[in-house]
This record gives sequence, C-alpha cells and structure tokens, in this order.
Amino acid sequence: MRTIGERALGLAWVVPALVLVGVFVYFPLAENLGFSTLKWDIYSGSQEYVGFANYAKLVEDPVFWRSLGNNVLYAVVSIAFQVFGALVLAALIEGVRSERWQRVLRAIYFIPSAISLTVAGLLFYFVYEPDLGLLNHLLQAAGLGRLGHSWLGEESTAMPAIIAMSQWQGFGYSTLLFAVAIQRIPREIYQAAALDGTGPVRRFRHVTLPLVREMTGVMSMVTISGAFQVFNEVMVMTGGGPDNSTQVLGTWLYRSGFVRNDFGYAAAIATVIFVITLGIAVAQLWVARRRRVTW
Amino acid sequence: MRPRALTTFAALAGTSVLALAGCTGGGQADTAPAADVTAAPDYSGTLSILTKFAGEPLEPYFENLAAEYEKLHPGVKIQLIQETDQSIKDKTKTLTASNALPDVYFTWTGNWAENFVRGGRAADLTEVVGPGTEWGKTFSEGALSAFAYDGRYYGIPLYGNGKFMGYNKAAFAKAGVKVPATFEDLIAACGPLRKAGYEPIAFGNKDGWPALHYLQQMFAYDVPWDTLQADLKPATAKLDDPGYVTALTRFTTLVDTCTDTRSGTNGVLYSSAQEKFADGKAAMYYQEILEFDNETAEGKLPADDFGIFPLPAPQGAKGDPAVIEGAPEGYLVNAASPRIPLAVDFMKFVTSVENAKTLSSPPYGQPSTVIGAVTPETSSSAVFAGVGLVNKAPKLAAWLDTVTVPEVADAWLSGGEALITGGRTPEQVLESVRRASASAK
Repeated sequence: MRTIGERALGLAWVVPALVLVGVFVYFPLAENLGFSTLKWDIYSGSQEYVGFANYAKLVEDPVFWRSLGNNVLYAVVSIAFQVFGALVLAALIEGVRSERWQRVLRAIYFIPSAISLTVAGLLFYFVYEPDLGLLNHLLQAAGLGRLGHSWLGEESTAMPAIIAMSQWQGFGYSTLLFAVAIQRIPREIYQAAALDGTGPVRRFRHVTLPLVREMTGVMSMVTISGAFQVFNEVMVMTGGGPDNSTQVLGTWLYRSGFVRNDFGYAAAIATVIFVITLGIAVAQLWVARRRRVTW
Repeated sequence: MRPRALTTFAALAGTSVLALAGCTGGGQADTAPAADVTAAPDYSGTLSILTKFAGEPLEPYFENLAAEYEKLHPGVKIQLIQETDQSIKDKTKTLTASNALPDVYFTWTGNWAENFVRGGRAADLTEVVGPGTEWGKTFSEGALSAFAYDGRYYGIPLYGNGKFMGYNKAAFAKAGVKVPATFEDLIAACGPLRKAGYEPIAFGNKDGWPALHYLQQMFAYDVPWDTLQADLKPATAKLDDPGYVTALTRFTTLVDTCTDTRSGTNGVLYSSAQEKFADGKAAMYYQEILEFDNETAEGKLPADDFGIFPLPAPQGAKGDPAVIEGAPEGYLVNAASPRIPLAVDFMKFVTSVENAKTLSSPPYGQPSTVIGAVTPETSSSAVFAGVGLVNKAPKLAAWLDTVTVPEVADAWLSGGEALITGGRTPEQVLESVRRASASAK
C-alpha cells in the first residue's frame, strides 16, 4: 500500500502535464463555449450575452447544413477509399511474393501522404485549372476534351474534385497502416487456410478481414473524425466557393468569424464540430475495445 | 477522491471556467483618454507597422523607409509586419480581437475603416492631418475625406486607386475594333477580338471579389447614386431598385460573351487572368491602377501597347455614367498606442513629397495621394492617365466588399459567384442580399 508521501509525489509528477493540458486544451474549449453564447464586436470589444441564439441561427442557416452535408459526403467517400479500398490494396501488396516489390509498392503509395495537404491542394489547383490544368489537357489528348471542366469553378464538380484530391493524398497512409496490420497476422494461419484449399479471395474474407477488424474500426473512426475537421484543402482550392458549394464546417466557421465578423456564431460552429468529433472519439474507444482480437 | 466526487468536482470546475469565460472580456478596446497627437515625438522605442506591401515589387518600399528613418533617429526601431492583399484581412481581425493591433495599420475606406473608428481603435488625427493643417494640405481633399467620419479625420491616405479596363492596343488594331464608348459596344467588340485570336476579357474570380468590382461599377451606372448609397447601409437599405437586376443581368452577359472561361471563371485565379493579359493572350483585363505597372514590367506587354478606359456605361442607364470605381487606401494610428506622436512623425516621413514620388514611380507604381507626387516624369503614362481620370470623376464608388457591412458583402460575394456559374438568377441573388441586409440591421 502506497503512503501519502508516495501519492503526493506521484501527483506532483502529473500536475505540470495537467496544468498544460488544462491551459492549452480545456480552457480554450470552455472559453469557446462561452463565446458561442455571445454577440461579440471585435472592434469595440463589446460582448452581449445572447444565450443560445447562435445555435438557433445554425438551425436556420442553409450554408451550415450544406457544410455539414459536404462533411458527411467527405466521410462516406473517405471510408470507401481510405478504409475499404486501402485494406484491399494492402492485402494485394502483401500478397506479392517479392519483398522488394512489396517495399517499392508501399513507398509508391505512401509518397502522396508525405506531401502536406496545403501543398497538395495547391498542386491540384493547377491540375484542375481549366486552361492550363493537366487534367483538361490529358482529356484533350485522349480525345475526351468534351469532358473537360472548370473543375473547381463549377458547383457540380468542385466538391468531388476536392474529395478526389484528398483521397489521393490520404490513401497511401491508410494502406501502409493496413499493411502493418496484415503483417502482424501469423503466417501459419494463412498456410493452414491454403492447406484447406481456400483461394486468395476466401483467405482475405475469412482470415485477413476478421484479424484486422481492430485496425479497420480504428481507421474508420479516424477517417470519419478527419472528415469533420477538413479545412486546408478546401481553403486552398476553393475557399468554400463557388457560391458556398464547397463549404465544410471548418471553412464556414472561418468565414463566419473572419469574413462576416460574427465570432459568436463561429464559436457555435466550433462547438458543433467539437461535439461531433468527441462523439466519434468516444465511439472509436468503444469499438476498439469491443473488436480487439488476440492470438 | 472517490470517482463520483471527482466527477462532481470536475463538473463544478468546468462550470466555473465556463462562467469565467463568459464573463471576462475577450477583447475589450482600450478606453484610455485620447493622446495628444500634436505632441513632440519621443525618438525612442519600437514602432510597429502593419502594411499591405508583402511580396515583390512592393515589399522593399517600407523596408527602405524604415532603414532610412532608423538612420535618422537611431533610438527608434521600426518593426514591419508586411501582409498581402488577401492575408491582411485575417491578420488585422486577429490582431484586433486579441487587442494586439500595431501602432500603425493599413486600412481600406468605407465600412472597413469605420469599424475601427466606431470601436475606438483609431486615433483622431484631425489636429494633425485635417484639411486646414500643414500636413493635411499636402494631400488631395478627396483622399483625406475618404477617411473622415462625423467631421473628424482618422486616416492617412497613402495612395489613390481606381478600376479601369486595361486593353491591348495591338489586339484592338488587329481585330479592327475601337475603344468602346458604351457597354453595348464593349459586348459587340468581343466577337471580332475572339476571331482575331484573343480571349476578349481575361477574368479570374477564384477569390470572389473580382466579380464585385465589376458589379459595383455597374451598379453605379444602373442605380441612382443616392439610392445606391442608402442601400449600402442596412439601416436604410431597400435594395428594390430595378437597376440592380439590370446590372446583374449585364454582368452575366459580359461573362458569357466576353470570357473564354464563362461559367468556369470561378476556377481561375485573378493573377492567372492578369498573366493572360500581360502575355498578350487576352485583349482586355479589368484592373486597378496599382496593377498597371505589373502589366508592362520587363518581358511583358510593351508599354506602348497598354491602354486603359473606364468600364463603359450602358446607353440610357439610370445611374451616373461619370462615376468611377475606386478609393484611396491608407493607414490608421492605433488609439491605444503609447507612441502616437512618433507614429504620426513616421507617417509624415512616409508621405513626404520625395517618398511619395518614389511610391508613385516604377517599380512600385502606387499613385500617391500627396499633391504633386504623380507627374508624367514620376509615373508611367498609364498610371498618370488613370489618376487623372480618378481625379476628374465627380464621385468615386468604393469597393463593394469593404464599403458595406461584412454580412452583406459576403452575400454579394457568393451571389457574384452564383451568377457566373448560372446557379442563381439575378433576382435570386438580389433577394439573398436583401435577406443578409435585413439580418444585419
């Protein structure tokens, strides 16, 4: 049994970290909640308490709902590509007999993830540029010029174009994580399955899938959570336009605060993002605990 | 501590923090008594300045002035924060919200500057820069009054600006078209220019505000001036003049007829469009005086081929065809600065005739508001012509994104984009602006 002195010493070691987390994480969070109940004029500094008026405004704001819808679309597409697509690709790579080729393929798919999102966004801005962009030139060269678009300038194509760039950037990272998870599966299980006469598809379905369930759960939650925190790529590529068609919660928060001077409303949007991502984080912990597989 | 007690404690602590956050001022403006702006400066300490001159070719201008001023006054250090046209908006608001505005900071006219004046963030400089003062007499009256509110003068105008259609004279000659006298002539000229191998008008609206520059000039032509001014303020706005829909419709005609990018114009950068014009691929480009010298910089459009004309007014328009869109840009002195006299002294140095002439000359090409600084000798012929036209204009229509309140400006921004994509009709755009204006009351 520990003495009071030992307990005090243990607490003393933890206090600096608690203070730092409190000051830099929890206090700003609490302060943001406070701001979301204010009408704040940054010029005069006046702050008027408006209760939940900013939250009521959210309900009636069509751009907020459009932003939320774009975040959901982002999450759905990301789950399809960065979780299930990446898992299939990782299984294919790990199925390659040559270890050297495995390493090469992992590196090839991982390279885009080494580029920052801001840089990738800028790069793809020029890929999508209507006159000089690579994509329209490739379509032209392939005799498909009629399919060319001002990809980021049209409401129908802007959001899909941004999401596509994001998948390109994040796909390799997920693949690498799944490859590591697959490598951890004991080879004997695959050998036993092969001896039983199962083909590669059945081995993937009945061996790989169940044994990477924990990683799949974690990746799903991380991907969904990331989809609700999207900001950089949208900001760089379209700034939320045209006509707010590519707004996501992060950019609408920014625009509400820094363009429309409505910082109380921006704080309310921040709270919504926090609640969504907190909910996803809790779900992630729950799923990770339930799906843990040991062998 | 037992888990339940710990939870209760955490909840209480959280509530206290919330209450504290709600009660404390996040950004109270300094309410110290007004400083004496006429006092003799104390030549010591650090003077911070937020400029809009980041990037080439403008960045060295303030750097050189700061070095020179520090040499004249060895006890003074000038701290420059240089931002671009786009980034300065966020930077200024962040600094304002955190009560960290520098001693001197950039401003546009209209609602942008008015917010700082209303919030007590801008020093009243009437005693030093008002029209009757020694320093005030060095500026054109129009430039000074652009920063006046309730008869008091707050801003130090640095340069004037106006929006004009830049055109390639060689392209016009090749296509056999003359400088258009009316909006209808402009639209009619686009066909022959396209046939001659040019994009008639290069236009990039990725950032949204370039469309507003067209719109504000067209509103000035199609909407009576007094109505337009009343509609800029939510308290008096009705936004029911039929001229708005007419102007918005004309704008869509211009985009559809005279640009190659048409409904995809929102995917093009303003600077990419500018490059197209400077490279001789486009015949026209709607631009500010501040940009004129960029077009004719080394290796680009020959200076003799570069001409300008105001965006032509439509025939029989109900507004004022002589109005030009433009406004001076300048600097405010932080009312909470402990060194206001030094800030005033530095800005007097910046706006001395000699430094004003440097500012007006290539490579800077920013037409100073100081009387006598812009001459055929100091400025390029295009800049000189542009300033002449601005000075002759009976009224200036300030930029739509800074002259009105941000909520309304934002509605115009997304409305301009929607007109280009065809996502909304002019009537629908006007309705959304009306709603934004009503909500901003």
